[in-house]
Amino acid sequence: MSISNGVNIWEIILSPLIALIIGIFFLGLARKIIARIHWRYGPPITQPVIDIIRMFSQKGISHGFIFDIGIILSLTGSFIVILFLPLGKMCPLSSGGLLAILYLMLLAPLGIALSSGEAANPNSSIGISRKFLLALGYEVPLLLILLAVMTHYNTISLIEIVRIQSTTGWSFGSLPLLLSGIAYFLILPAILGIRPFEVVGAAQEISSGPNAEFGGKFLAFSTIQHALHEFIGISLFVNLFLGGWGLFGILEPITNTVWSVIFGIIIFFIKMLIVFIVELFINAVFPRFRIEQAVRYLWKWPTLFAFIGLIVVVVVK
Amino acid sequence: MTLELLLIVAFGGAFLTYFLGKISPKLRNSFAVINALALVVMTACLYGQTVEKTLHFGFLGMPFVLRINMLSWFFAITIVGIGLLSIIYSLKYIENEKRLDYYYFTTLFINASMLGTIICGDLVSFFIFWEMMSWSTYLLISYKGGDKALFAGIKYIIMSIIGSLAMLIGIISLYTHFGTLEISTLAVQIQGASLNYILFILIMFSAAFIIINAFWPLHTWLPDAHAEAVSPFSSILSAVLVRKGMYGLYLFMYMILGLNILNKLKFGFISFTGVFCWIGAITIVFAALTALLQNDSKRILAWSTVGQGGYMILGVAFATTLGMAGGTFHILNHCIYIGLLFFVAGAIEYRTGGIRDLDSLGGLIKKMPITFIGGLVGILGLIGMPLTNGFVSKWLIYKTLILGNRPFLAFAAFLGTWGTILYGYKFIHNIFLGQLPEKYKDIKEVPFTMRLPIIILTVLVFLFGILPGIPLKMINIIGVSLGFESLNVSLGGITSDSGTLNTINIFAGILVAGIIIWLIFKAGRKAPKVNQYDSYAAGAAIPKGKYHYTVNFYNPLERMITPYLKDFVDAFYIKITEWIQNLCNSVRRVYTGYVSNYVMYIVLFLAFLIFVQLKWSLW
Repeated sequence: MSISNGVNIWEIILSPLIALIIGIFFLGLARKIIARIHWRYGPPITQPVIDIIRMFSQKGISHGFIFDIGIILSLTGSFIVILFLPLGKMCPLSSGGLLAILYLMLLAPLGIALSSGEAANPNSSIGISRKFLLALGYEVPLLLILLAVMTHYNTISLIEIVRIQSTTGWSFGSLPLLLSGIAYFLILPAILGIRPFEVVGAAQEISSGPNAEFGGKFLAFSTIQHALHEFIGISLFVNLFLGGWGLFGILEPITNTVWSVIFGIIIFFIKMLIVFIVELFINAVFPRFRIEQAVRYLWKWPTLFAFIGLIVVVVVK
Repeated sequence: MTLELLLIVAFGGAFLTYFLGKISPKLRNSFAVINALALVVMTACLYGQTVEKTLHFGFLGMPFVLRINMLSWFFAITIVGIGLLSIIYSLKYIENEKRLDYYYFTTLFINASMLGTIICGDLVSFFIFWEMMSWSTYLLISYKGGDKALFAGIKYIIMSIIGSLAMLIGIISLYTHFGTLEISTLAVQIQGASLNYILFILIMFSAAFIIINAFWPLHTWLPDAHAEAVSPFSSILSAVLVRKGMYGLYLFMYMILGLNILNKLKFGFISFTGVFCWIGAITIVFAALTALLQNDSKRILAWSTVGQGGYMILGVAFATTLGMAGGTFHILNHCIYIGLLFFVAGAIEYRTGGIRDLDSLGGLIKKMPITFIGGLVGILGLIGMPLTNGFVSKWLIYKTLILGNRPFLAFAAFLGTWGTILYGYKFIHNIFLGQLPEKYKDIKEVPFTMRLPIIILTVLVFLFGILPGIPLKMINIIGVSLGFESLNVSLGGITSDSGTLNTINIFAGILVAGIIIWLIFKAGRKAPKVNQYDSYAAGAAIPKGKYHYTVNFYNPLERMITPYLKDFVDAFYIKITEWIQNLCNSVRRVYTGYVSNYVMYIVLFLAFLIFVQLKWSLW
């Protein structure tokens, strides 16, 4: 079933759903794994689902029109980005390529920022201020990394980047992009907002920051948005550096069948899971940076790696 | 006849407005609006025409050439459009000021002279109109009076004169070389000139255009001038007047010299356009980071004007089909959203009694919702969010830079955008969000004549963002006329081999997803609306009027980058002016102005001569 210009309806419906399931699963998994590292038993892995359903039926307060619109906008932004990100072999929308993704990724934080700003609570505002500062911190290396990838493959299309990797091997394994890959891995905790970069929603300092005024369905939406955000950050890494759905060409014999799409998603999920668990280990053992320490760190090593990586790419070309 | 009529209506209307003001202020106001409206209608009627005609009553016996083509039309419509909106906006904004006849006259006169610079076809009239524009701008920057406004005006006029002089040298040199100053003749004859000579001419003219465009390192006049001018005029200044410099660059780089010569201007690694690209890149990053440190609503916008100029020059100087389209489109987009933002800043000033300090506002969304939407949309356009016009032009520019293998330039452009997000949000947050101070609790939305320009421009931001094909078709014609390839433009974007953009697609996606999420949101338990004092304060009472985080919004970052962001260029210029002032002061000690002193000098000199003659008998 497809509408006029080759957009597949099933992909449009399925890909956000799968992303949502994976994102929420990661939230549950994170609590479980962290608990085990702390020698606790931990909540059941379905705890985030229970929480979201519970919060959705609880009473919250609204601070005004933008307070509602902002949270809707942020969730919309996250879902739109997912439509543009290849999930295995599925990628419902592609117009504008990586540049459009980069810009659409702004909608979600902006929505949260508007919503929290309207709440008239300094805790939220401080959280937002930190959120943008942290974003500026990791965007500097991230942009260098993305530019290195786009320059290396000479395309702005993410689908194309994944496709080339399936024939020439993962970017992470290719020498010119190795440094960029390392840099992305170093900033991934900052993108995901986990320790040591958990400065935005710091519960003990600023009452969970942007979430301070969210209750009921607002908190449920905010949690879903957080889950999707984790998905987006890791998915981008897997697509850019770990070859997306490609795994040593084992999908070659069944290419162009439904099975290749299904196995593509499974391979993609396994890659994401591995990356996520490694990031969780980092999260579990590190304390929190202060915001200026975080920005300083991000502008030092990852930026240096990304910068040299970009120079290498330009020189090799 | 239409072109002459356009100029006559423009200039005649300005003078007539002044005299009508002596009869009745109401008559003057309505005539100013009608005059501006007539200009819009007349310009709109000229769409798609290519006319060139010579009149023989020009300056110094040289012919006076008028011409219009797609490029001039493009600039003309932005001038008259913003001019009209600005006049409508002024009706209420300015009504309590003094010297209103003078204000309307100068505004209309500036518009008329800007129109003149772009529909004239010879360099003499170009220069004359240019000077009229510069001088009347000076008058209007200092309109409010006071030390700051006067200083801003002086700073502007000094830099502007330096630019004009450079341009004058170029014009004289061209005339002695080729014996003509008609643009179309020059364009043919200059093809035979030596490259060194062309470079000289280009540098002379570029100096003038870079100054008016406020590119780094000649940007220092702009932040002061934009902040100190009255808001409706800041709009004109930032949206169209500054971009006359871009028109000048088009005129020289592409219409007169053409792509062929431009590509030949290369000395080893350094090419002329490459230098321009790097100027653009530095301008973008420097301006974005400086804007972050500002605490004055109009100063933030002024610095963003500096920065956005960098994107235009990046696109235009890169000299590829896509880059050209992106740069040209960005001129239009910038004109729309920066005009909008200055109107919004003006609306805030109007209602709060001239407050521009971002630390003392807050919560105004509750009182001024339309202004808030205007401000938000303007900022989104400035950032370049998808579905706003800024996205399409920036997308084109980025793509050009990446596919043209200039990742470091692209990085500068990207970084500027991320800086924009920070200061853009600060602008929105500190003015509209957060806690409403008690003293502003009786504020009302601005009157209709001030809302109307804000609404129109807000709609335009979205219209050109969702259907970028409308302006891009026009820009495509400009590109082809300047010698670039034709683009494959559809209503929703651009199709090309190296990636397509379809904004209608993105719009549909966001709309459908938004509606679904909104429905789910509605399905949840209803959240009662609470007032601004009903928020979390860890159990303590909410301190009224103080529970708002605005001062030093990005404090950690500010502390980090301030030491590196001293505007040493500005400091350098001010040092030079001080030095010149000291020099002049010491000269003044000799030239005292008293006749007796001069007589003494003469007597002393004569005595010296006599002494010399007596001693050595030289004569």
